[in-house]
Amino acid sequence: MKTILGTLKLALFLAFKSMFKGNKWALGLIIVVMAFSFVNLIFTSAVISGVMTTMDSQMINTVFSNVIVSPRQDKYYIDRADEIEARIGRVEGVGETCAHLNSRGFIEYGWKEKALPWDRVKSGSWNILGIDPAQEARVTTIGHNMIDGQYLDENDTSSIVLGVEVAGGKSAQTSDFLTLGGIKVGEKVRVSYPNGIQREYTVKGIFRAREMMQADHLAFVTHREMVSVLGRPEFANRASEILVKADRNGIEENLASELAAAGIDLEIRGWKEYGGAYRSVISTFEIIGAIIGGTGLVVAAIVMFIVIYINVLSKKRQIGILRAIGIPANAVLGSYLIQALTYAVMGITLGWLLVRVVLQPYFIFNPIDFPFGFLSLNIESARIVGSAIGLTSAAVLAGLIPSWAVMRESIIKTLWGV
Amino acid sequence: MIHVKNLFKQYGHGAGAVKALKGVDLKVEQGEFVAIMGRSGSGKSTLLRILGLLDMPTGGEVHIDGVNTLKMGEKEKARFRLEKLGYVFQEQSLIAELNILENVYLPAVADLDRSDYKRRAREILEVVGLKERVSHYPSEISGGEQQRVAIARALINQPKTLFADEPTASLDEDSAKVVLELFCKLNKELGQTIVMVTHEPEDKQYVDRVIWMKDGRIDNS
Repeated sequence: MKTILGTLKLALFLAFKSMFKGNKWALGLIIVVMAFSFVNLIFTSAVISGVMTTMDSQMINTVFSNVIVSPRQDKYYIDRADEIEARIGRVEGVGETCAHLNSRGFIEYGWKEKALPWDRVKSGSWNILGIDPAQEARVTTIGHNMIDGQYLDENDTSSIVLGVEVAGGKSAQTSDFLTLGGIKVGEKVRVSYPNGIQREYTVKGIFRAREMMQADHLAFVTHREMVSVLGRPEFANRASEILVKADRNGIEENLASELAAAGIDLEIRGWKEYGGAYRSVISTFEIIGAIIGGTGLVVAAIVMFIVIYINVLSKKRQIGILRAIGIPANAVLGSYLIQALTYAVMGITLGWLLVRVVLQPYFIFNPIDFPFGFLSLNIESARIVGSAIGLTSAAVLAGLIPSWAVMRESIIKTLWGV
Repeated sequence: MIHVKNLFKQYGHGAGAVKALKGVDLKVEQGEFVAIMGRSGSGKSTLLRILGLLDMPTGGEVHIDGVNTLKMGEKEKARFRLEKLGYVFQEQSLIAELNILENVYLPAVADLDRSDYKRRAREILEVVGLKERVSHYPSEISGGEQQRVAIARALINQPKTLFADEPTASLDEDSAKVVLELFCKLNKELGQTIVMVTHEPEDKQYVDRVIWMKDGRIDNS
């Protein structure tokens, strides 16, 4: 035991003297290289993870919420929607709910200028959602994403709110000929519903949810207006779907099971089952992220290995002297192991501070403007731990392998430094 | 006491093989100060490196204080070098990151039974005349002073035998004189056994005995 403690004491003595009384530039360079290797590793994965997180949250916040309750496959509507909502609301894990009464609608802009009924004006067919604006605002963020005009009020019956990809114009990404061509708030549209009803609405607001695939291609009227359009009083308590917002993300599967167990005899699905196209994009990002993360770790490990390796080899003669005067091999190896670990800990700590204190706040205040939303870094604890372990392992190998190789050479050869 | 029997050392194999030692027999008594002299290539440094357990012979035996050192494993050899032998190299051999005091007590740090190594190091530095330089670093002192520090380091664990491989080769005349007088002092006052390789004829005046080597053998002529 005493021998082990003595060897450890000697290893610590050699390691810390070598690091802190040696070349300060070399020490600083090694730590900076390690820090930036770590930052590179974390940053790349944090951006990719940020992309995925932003996409996921946009899907949840603007289109699907966490869980979607739909009519049974042989029905178009959910009957007794109020009662169903109340039952859903009593299930643990449910935060808020909102019901949609949907219809397809053919929307025309500038139809009054048509000379003949079959003349074409700016128009298209989109999904129109009948919503309770107050309830909707507790579940989705559409109401907070108005880029012009205002959101609906509960009593609005002659107003419509359009997604930017319906309204068109400079803010839209869809080509003009597929939109209403840049309609403005306050202008009128005519909506033809499948049951033959035609209504004229004033555009009350235009929203941009920045969720490219679906939300911005929707139009909203009030639930009351949609009931009126559909024409029968029983529609007042019917819904095309009920969005269920969980009290936290990531519990969708459990929540769907809980709802089924609570006797909600309807189609219950987590949002991921609906986001097919998005999910494939995200899956691709996940694969890219894994490849970049894995490659980054290998590259960072090699960089650190080379830096420490060169540092150890530059002290080959010194190792020879230590061996020649009888310093135990384990003390010499231990000193290089301790040095490598210290470099790793200091480099990783510095890198972590750079990420937390510089990069993360920067991207919080200056998020990257992606087409699907504002992107901040999403730094996952597991990634940090994994990267730290990977780099530390590389540093340990980089410290041990060359010193062990030098220790295996003859003392004379080592003393000559060849 | 050092007893060398029929020591051989060959570098390489086949036609290109070089025989550095060709059957060396040698005895050095406890407390002797011996110089090994000879021309370049005579095998004197090879012999000293084998005696100091830094190199292995091709054949023969080396007994130091009754122990056959060639039968030791690497760990035992390292321990033997640390506790029983001191070695002074021809060229600069101090650790640049350690100050003079730390360089001297370095070989004693691992010995937890003797925690007075800093005091001992100071005492030895006083003996070698460097008491005032304890906090200096190797780059801040002269070559002669560095050799004296190396000697002090070799003595920290109070070894019975001290080996010195041309310790004055890279020193000026005055520094060399100081180092050699120090060896004399250690030998006379502390009874230190010293085996020194040198090629300087005038070094003979400092030693008890000169062992001449020629062509890998002890030259008794």
